[in-house]
Amino acid sequence: MGKKLIELKNISKSFGDLVVLDHFNFYINENEFITLLGPSGCGKTTCLRLIGGFETPDDGEIIFDGKVINDLEPNQREINTCFQKYALFPHLNVFDNIAFGLKLKKLPKTEIVDRVHQTLKLVKLDGFQDRHISTLSGGQQQRVAIARAIVNRPKVLLLDEPLGALDLKLRQEMQYELKEMQRTLGITFVYVTHDQEEALTMSDTIVIMNEGKILQIGTPEDIYNEPKNRFVANFIGESNIFEGIMIEDYLVKFVDREFKCVDKGFHLNEAVDVVIRPEDFDFVPPSKAKIKGIVDSLTFKGVHYEINVMVDGREYTIHTTKYREVGDRVGLSVEPESIHVMRRQRS
Amino acid sequence: MKRRKQRILMAKAMGVILTVMTFLILYVPILLILMLSLNDSARGYQWEGFTLKWYAMLFLDDIMKDPIVNTISIAILSTIISTILGTIFAIGIHALEKKRRVRMMVMNNVPVVNPDIVTGISLMIIFSILSFTLGFSTVLIAHVFFSIPYVILNIIPKLKRLDPNLYEAGLDLGCSRIEAVWRVIIPNISTGILTGALMAFTMSIDDFVITYFTSGNEYMNVSTWLYAALAREGRNSFTPVAYAYNTIIFLLTIIIIVFVNTRKERKVRTHEKSTCFTP
Amino acid sequence: MKRLRFFSIPYLAWMLIFIAVPTLILIMLAFSDYSLYYPSRFEITWVNFQIFSQSYMSKAIIYSFGLSIITTLICFVIGYPVAYYLANLPEKTRKIWLALLIVPLWANMLLRIFAWEKIFTPLSIFTDLSGLSLDLLGTNTGIVIGMVGMYLPFMIFPLFSVLERMDYSLVEAAKDLGATDLNVFFKVIFPMSLGGIVSGVIMTMLPAMTSFVLPARIGLGRINLIGNIIESKFMKEVMGSGGLSINVGSLISLMLMLFSVISFVIITRFDKEGETLI
Repeated sequence: MGKKLIELKNISKSFGDLVVLDHFNFYINENEFITLLGPSGCGKTTCLRLIGGFETPDDGEIIFDGKVINDLEPNQREINTCFQKYALFPHLNVFDNIAFGLKLKKLPKTEIVDRVHQTLKLVKLDGFQDRHISTLSGGQQQRVAIARAIVNRPKVLLLDEPLGALDLKLRQEMQYELKEMQRTLGITFVYVTHDQEEALTMSDTIVIMNEGKILQIGTPEDIYNEPKNRFVANFIGESNIFEGIMIEDYLVKFVDREFKCVDKGFHLNEAVDVVIRPEDFDFVPPSKAKIKGIVDSLTFKGVHYEINVMVDGREYTIHTTKYREVGDRVGLSVEPESIHVMRRQRS
Repeated sequence: MKRRKQRILMAKAMGVILTVMTFLILYVPILLILMLSLNDSARGYQWEGFTLKWYAMLFLDDIMKDPIVNTISIAILSTIISTILGTIFAIGIHALEKKRRVRMMVMNNVPVVNPDIVTGISLMIIFSILSFTLGFSTVLIAHVFFSIPYVILNIIPKLKRLDPNLYEAGLDLGCSRIEAVWRVIIPNISTGILTGALMAFTMSIDDFVITYFTSGNEYMNVSTWLYAALAREGRNSFTPVAYAYNTIIFLLTIIIIVFVNTRKERKVRTHEKSTCFTP
Repeated sequence: MKRLRFFSIPYLAWMLIFIAVPTLILIMLAFSDYSLYYPSRFEITWVNFQIFSQSYMSKAIIYSFGLSIITTLICFVIGYPVAYYLANLPEKTRKIWLALLIVPLWANMLLRIFAWEKIFTPLSIFTDLSGLSLDLLGTNTGIVIGMVGMYLPFMIFPLFSVLERMDYSLVEAAKDLGATDLNVFFKVIFPMSLGGIVSGVIMTMLPAMTSFVLPARIGLGRINLIGNIIESKFMKEVMGSGGLSINVGSLISLMLMLFSVISFVIITRFDKEGETLI
């Protein structure tokens, strides 16, 4: 991965009394696909708007290619944006929408035509140049919005929930295409979403945010497998979260039972949160299991069943391909590698 | 069931009767003005036969030249100025946060709700405090003043319908702040600007009350000229050329508005057509 | 778009100059003997209030209210069914009829008043053309009919716009829940069109109450309204009333302003941004 391209240093931003970003620090590498992920209202769009130049930070520095760009206007930045709901110009057709930026740069006409056609090919909209925006489907508008941004060959493309308005099937298709596009173009993508699946599928790096703060930065694998705290574990995928105590290195106690694990470096008897993913539980005969319970409900989810098991008055969620009847007595086991121990959040 | 049907029929009949009445009460005076402009009589006490001489006199004779020139030049200038200013102000007001926007709109609507006579007197007083000589410039300012709120009221709904990111998309793609207004916002609110301008024009060209209080003794538009003629000599004191002028302005306004509306509709229709052809 | 906020600042200044400042001066004039044209003295006084003890003033106030209320009532009784009828027409014809309601407003107001004057004269070109002979000059009936002819569209427009925008699935819902036609009207349609009613009533009543050309012409000067007195104080007897005519006129204008402030507060409660005003 290349050098640092954008760096946000100690950025704070408030709207009135509402603190949207609170001493924010992170950097973006060249050619990286980075995703800002978090629930709505967590400040991810504001962060994107700061990079794009539509807002100025109250405090801190935004550094682009080694230069502070806090006060640069959006049109002076080598950054383009693909907006939520696309923001295509309704008074222009497809060609003029895409050519908008090039015309402002006063490029020669033949070059403009060439570049627009190339880009149309890239987003698979060949032959659509004369169509009016209002005659396009959501997916097609999405492609025009991307084309309009990348035709300017920016160093960075900012995408604000670009797939939010599309239906599931199209969304999955576009996820794949966007990733592909990013690879071929070699542009840095900064992607904002609240959809964890989207983030996991496409990103090189994920930044998890909540209430204006960064909770964890890492690769999708890191974040899924080693969530740093309860919030991240809950937000990324479904989780069973238990309160427990770290007895010693590699030994954790929760639900009044002791389990081997792979975590170390905690204080003796430190209070911790333990995360177990629903797909990491296995059914074993009750006689051999530490955890025993009764099947409470069962839902068919397509690829797997979602089974809720009642254990000592608490519900465990399990994803499995094995079928069990409601009311069955079952035993549950879990491998040491699947037990994720996290420091308890002070709250 | 039968009684219900009867009741509905009666309600409908009432609607038709009252609508006919409404149009009668609105159109009888208009038709009378038209007849007076075609009547071969200077006094207009009775119908004395068809003529077009008043229309000919309107163009050949100087009798009403000054007030007509004044009326038209004020209408054109105030429409242009109030449309430009109103558009800029509307964009600024729309960009405000909600609380301030509502407050600005409340202020904007003061001249709309205020009776003309109060607006006229307020303007007359401020002009005399600023020691402006009443005449062309004060009438122009006054017309710009009462037109701007209507321009703004026509544009704000169009702005509300715009995607808030549209302006930023313009900036993002290389426009300066002003360029983005010109290239992105203005084209997308153009129908609002146009209807606002038409409204400003129609109100300026027919205004009497506000012009009356802000024009002084020398400067006259058609309305104040008519009023002065009536006050000076009593009934039937002005020439039927006034009817001819009014009929022409009236027809011109209708033609302009019909033209603008059919063009707008044609635009919409071609749009729909291309939508139909989408696979 | 936040960056465009500064576009609204000059408008604020503009409105201060043309709305706030004149209002303050009107107040100053109304409560003092300050002379607008020959500023030399300034003393706060209640002397201008003596106008209200004059019988012609109280008569003007009573007539202004009386005639404008009657006019508004008639406009409402005619206007509501018409607006309802038009709003329920098919979309294409609806637009044409509405446009036809606007068209008469483009004719010159003075000439329209003058046409009414002819219509109300017993022997005129109107009699010649229609065979009808009316004698209504100088009567209240004449003034009211003239006012209805002038201001009826201002009642219909706001009513039409709320009735047109109304969600008629609510009417169906009400019928589904067992409401009779009459119930539907009084419990659903009427309350939902209240905003339009308020705008319509105010947009009709205020201009009617403050008109001065129409009562002067059709009333033959026999019936004076508040507007006529203001006109004469400001334009005709500038040096009358002991040199205080402008101050007296200001006081009366201030009174009218008070009415429009009250109307304004009422309108704003129903329609903050004035969307029913055009």
